[in-house]
Amino acid sequence: MPISTRKHLLNIALFLVLVWGIYDAIMGPDLVSELRDFTGRYGAYLLLISLLFTPLSQRWNWVKRNLSMRRNIGVWGFIYATVHLLIWITLEFYYDWELMLDEIAGNLFILLGIFAFILLLPLAITSNHRALKRFGYRKWQMLHTLTYIAVPAVISHHFMAQKSDTLEPLLMGFVLVLVFVWRYRHAR
Amino acid sequence: MPVKPSEITPEKVYKRRRTLIAAGLGILAVPALSKGYGLLQQTQEEEDLPFPSVSAQPNRLSQPLEPTPYETVTGYNNYYEFGYSKDDPARAAKTLITSPWSVELGGEGADKPGIYDIAEVKGEHAIENHVYRFRCVEAWSMVIPWNGIKLADVIKAAAPNSKAKFVRFTTLNDPQQMPNADWADGPYVEGLTIEEAMNPLTLLATGIYDQSLEQQNGAPIRLVVPWKYGFKYAKSIVKIELVEQMPQNTWWLQNKREYGFYANVNPQFDHPRWTQATERVIGELGRKPTLLYNGYADEVGHMYPDLDNRLYYY
Repeated sequence: MPISTRKHLLNIALFLVLVWGIYDAIMGPDLVSELRDFTGRYGAYLLLISLLFTPLSQRWNWVKRNLSMRRNIGVWGFIYATVHLLIWITLEFYYDWELMLDEIAGNLFILLGIFAFILLLPLAITSNHRALKRFGYRKWQMLHTLTYIAVPAVISHHFMAQKSDTLEPLLMGFVLVLVFVWRYRHAR
Repeated sequence: MPVKPSEITPEKVYKRRRTLIAAGLGILAVPALSKGYGLLQQTQEEEDLPFPSVSAQPNRLSQPLEPTPYETVTGYNNYYEFGYSKDDPARAAKTLITSPWSVELGGEGADKPGIYDIAEVKGEHAIENHVYRFRCVEAWSMVIPWNGIKLADVIKAAAPNSKAKFVRFTTLNDPQQMPNADWADGPYVEGLTIEEAMNPLTLLATGIYDQSLEQQNGAPIRLVVPWKYGFKYAKSIVKIELVEQMPQNTWWLQNKREYGFYANVNPQFDHPRWTQATERVIGELGRKPTLLYNGYADEVGHMYPDLDNRLYYY
């Protein structure tokens, strides 16, 4: 199966996961929180997975063969994050901007989430071949190292949003630290 | 295969990347720093807790409120013994055996301790119906039509003496029936002052919507204290003790900075991680302002003389 087909399948799968999540939330007792938490959680998974590609590709050839999927995963992570933010703005706060500003000002974890989204925005916009050509590889790569700021912010946001069960974000943070250690040692 | 010169990242770039990686690690540490800062500020909880005076009686008990649909009340629950997700309890709690059920009434403050069968208790006291707002500490709310008996009636039956200053509630903790029974390292414990417990708003609920409580809602008997955050509403109660010392409630033990003993609803005092000024009404879009004491200020305000003391409001 050529890589382009595999990427198409991946796109369809991640789209269907989103549709399934929306369907599941509609069927549940509280649409807003379920949709908000589902998109946030899966967006964080995808962003973290996108960072695993490079280290794992050094070890496993099958990862290396699918290395270009990293971009799809990253962009889908951003799409999930966008839906997450839009739910917060529309369903949760119903465009009450003043209230949203209060909430952002009083809550470090929401500030971190917004911060991460702002960092991810230019990365998502430039996640295409044309932007890569326009910037040149080095500048493009420099811009995209911002993920090393954005993903920690996402995982901290996830961690601080939990009331008591912090195992999942802690594990994600642990994986991220491993990625960082690897990155730091292999930075060339 | 030799590395092409174009593939080698210039020194300047990788050094910058290392800086970014270090900065990223710094951001990962933000939650820890934030928590540490909070702990530094934590002083109030260590002081002796004041004991509010007993006085005054409330006036209006039920308000015209639009109840949240039954399916929502029974499908969206926090009951960690059955799992952390809101939909876990409705699925996992079905196996909980709630009949027969007895509640032990005791403590050094009870002159007439005893073990009561729920069926008998229900028969002895008048079942009242109250539509109350329910405000969770997580900043969402519902409106629930409760059926239950006044906690005051049950306490009076135990003949409280002068040592009865607080009421301690212990809930069922059975690993056989509860998949996540050990989440808090022991049974879920909650507490009230005796004055709060005797307040006519305070119920031991046995049902909602004129039907017996479902397991995920705390069957067969749970506490209802509408002016406090939802975590005070101990579920599936097996023991009620009248005690002299302030009970150490589970959430306070879990996180002394974020959850206290009184946990009275107050929009002025934010949770360390989110605002309590507004709430999301389940089933509605947007948020609405949170009311002092969840709208029951007339009935309970007299018990808390100091409106600026965070002790009462987290």
